[in-house]
Amino acid sequence: MRVTLNQLSKHFGPVKAVDNLNLEIGEGEFMALLGPSGCGKTTTLLTIAGFYKPTAGEVRFNERVVNELPPRKRNIGMVFQSYALYPHMKVLDNIAFPLKVQKAPRHIWQERARKVAELLEIDDLLDRLPGQLSGGQQQRVALARALVREPDLLLLDEPLSNLDAKLRITMRAELKRLQKDLAITTIFVTHDQVEAMTMADRIALLEAGRLQQVGAPEELYHSPVNLFVAGFIGTPPMNFLKAKITEEGELTGEGFRLSLRKEMRGHIAGRRVEVIIGVRPEHVTIGTGETEGEVYVVEPLGRDVLVTLKVGSATLKALTRPEETPKAGERVKLNLLGGKLHLFDTETGQALLKERNEG
Amino acid sequence: MWKRVRWGWDRAAAYLILGAIAAPFLAMYVGFFLRAFGKGMTLGILPKEFGFTNFRFLWEPIAWGLGQTTMWAALGNTVAFAVTSGAVVTVVCMLAGYALSRIDFKGKNLFLALQLFLHAVPGQVLLIAIFFLLFYIKLLHKIPGVALARASLEIPLGIWMAKGFFDGIPWDVERSAMIDGCTRLQIWYRIFLPLVRPGIAAVFIWGFLFAWHDFIYVYTLLPGTTKLMSTLIQSLLATEVIDYGYLAALSLIYMIPPLSLFVLLQRALLKVPVFGGKGV
Repeated sequence: MRVTLNQLSKHFGPVKAVDNLNLEIGEGEFMALLGPSGCGKTTTLLTIAGFYKPTAGEVRFNERVVNELPPRKRNIGMVFQSYALYPHMKVLDNIAFPLKVQKAPRHIWQERARKVAELLEIDDLLDRLPGQLSGGQQQRVALARALVREPDLLLLDEPLSNLDAKLRITMRAELKRLQKDLAITTIFVTHDQVEAMTMADRIALLEAGRLQQVGAPEELYHSPVNLFVAGFIGTPPMNFLKAKITEEGELTGEGFRLSLRKEMRGHIAGRRVEVIIGVRPEHVTIGTGETEGEVYVVEPLGRDVLVTLKVGSATLKALTRPEETPKAGERVKLNLLGGKLHLFDTETGQALLKERNEG
Repeated sequence: MWKRVRWGWDRAAAYLILGAIAAPFLAMYVGFFLRAFGKGMTLGILPKEFGFTNFRFLWEPIAWGLGQTTMWAALGNTVAFAVTSGAVVTVVCMLAGYALSRIDFKGKNLFLALQLFLHAVPGQVLLIAIFFLLFYIKLLHKIPGVALARASLEIPLGIWMAKGFFDGIPWDVERSAMIDGCTRLQIWYRIFLPLVRPGIAAVFIWGFLFAWHDFIYVYTLLPGTTKLMSTLIQSLLATEVIDYGYLAALSLIYMIPPLSLFVLLQRALLKVPVFGGKGV
């Protein structure tokens, strides 16, 4: 099923939880609603589920406007952050509950609940009560209950946040695989950008009720449209430096001067004088280059080493290979133009170079 | 598991003070039991011998004034009265408590505040109004009618109690049931009622107990020929010769049902519902 959000707004008194949101989720797509807490992602999900009525705009399932349709008539499955299992029912009855409410005959609901339990490998837990299960098992039961009705749309609210770190990585892959196998249109809410990046086909990044950018994970990573997206996506986060554009088309700031290639100069010539430069830590190379910095802290991460540098009064993080690690206190040469360079407007935060550029 | 308690002066002092406070009440209970089972009091408190002669109402009719009745009839009336009242309180409070906990409507806070105000109004103030109300709807002098009136006095606070129990159920559980296809009423009886069983027990006991030990409503609104335990004991007090041993024995029987109900349901009352999911 296709889901369309058309100029959707949801206000709680003076608070604009969701503000004029336009989004289209395609048939069978795995869409992540990503953002910091309070950005409106859960409100959006609850509006799609039908718990909240939109203040303005509409929610469409395929062509049909469903603003007034109660949740029970939407044929959706939902997994809550707390799993929300019915504590007084055994696992089998929990999974079969949506079918029992529809008054499906006993042999039908038993068969279908068992089938979906087998799919999620919880068929040995059917006689237990939710209180006797681990967090991971409870989540599988909640997922089974959401899937048993063969919903047109699956909604997941922070589905992995209550699991321990190791299980989360396993479930990430399993959920992704399951979603592709079943081809159910899925929307999931998360504040964890790694979760969104790894699982989703596309990410919608929200902040303060407004959609910032929507696109494939690589798109948000490589071509952020503004400072917020650039800073939110990626770990460790992107470095930001204040700089000025000189008349010769160079970028200067405290402790550095970058001469750009001709095409780039053309792009920024005549633009505003003050900008913010964005460089990802993996695109900063240590050893050669026209910028100088002092090594402040060295943090080995195993495969890479995270180096914090002082350039002028600004701090900069660089990811390097272990064999190239400098020592703390050392003065080193830096190349900021090794990968992609991002420029942002100081006032609006909008990206200035939308086109592909390579230093 | 049990640790040996070390006795010290502070501990002994605490027991001494608490014991002194409890002593008069304990003495009253001892006197009560001695009277119920004793025969032929000397010095007013010491019985000559023990026996069950005071409990002769169990197999003999009780005479009062010019009429007579049996203890069993009065007990039966009292049970019918208290159970009806408890059931009415339970049904109304469970429905109202859910609505006030989960559904937004205009005037909800005013309504809740009004319940507290109603609870503060003493029941005696309403007696005359209720008398006429029951008269007009033809329920005066009937046990179900008076039970209904008695229940209405406990409903205001019962609603608050029930709301508290419903408030304890996470919203996600309710939303989950809505997604799974339930209407509000289905959520109420398929999901919420099983989860608030301790609440049902608490509210029922609330309605039951107040009706069980009620005197003024029963005395005013029921005919003198329909005796409940409370009015039966009162009518025996109103005779010229008072047999205190007989009264104590009757009162003991009067005490047993609510006491056993408490013991029976205390496990339910103490049981805190355990919800699925971590961090809820």
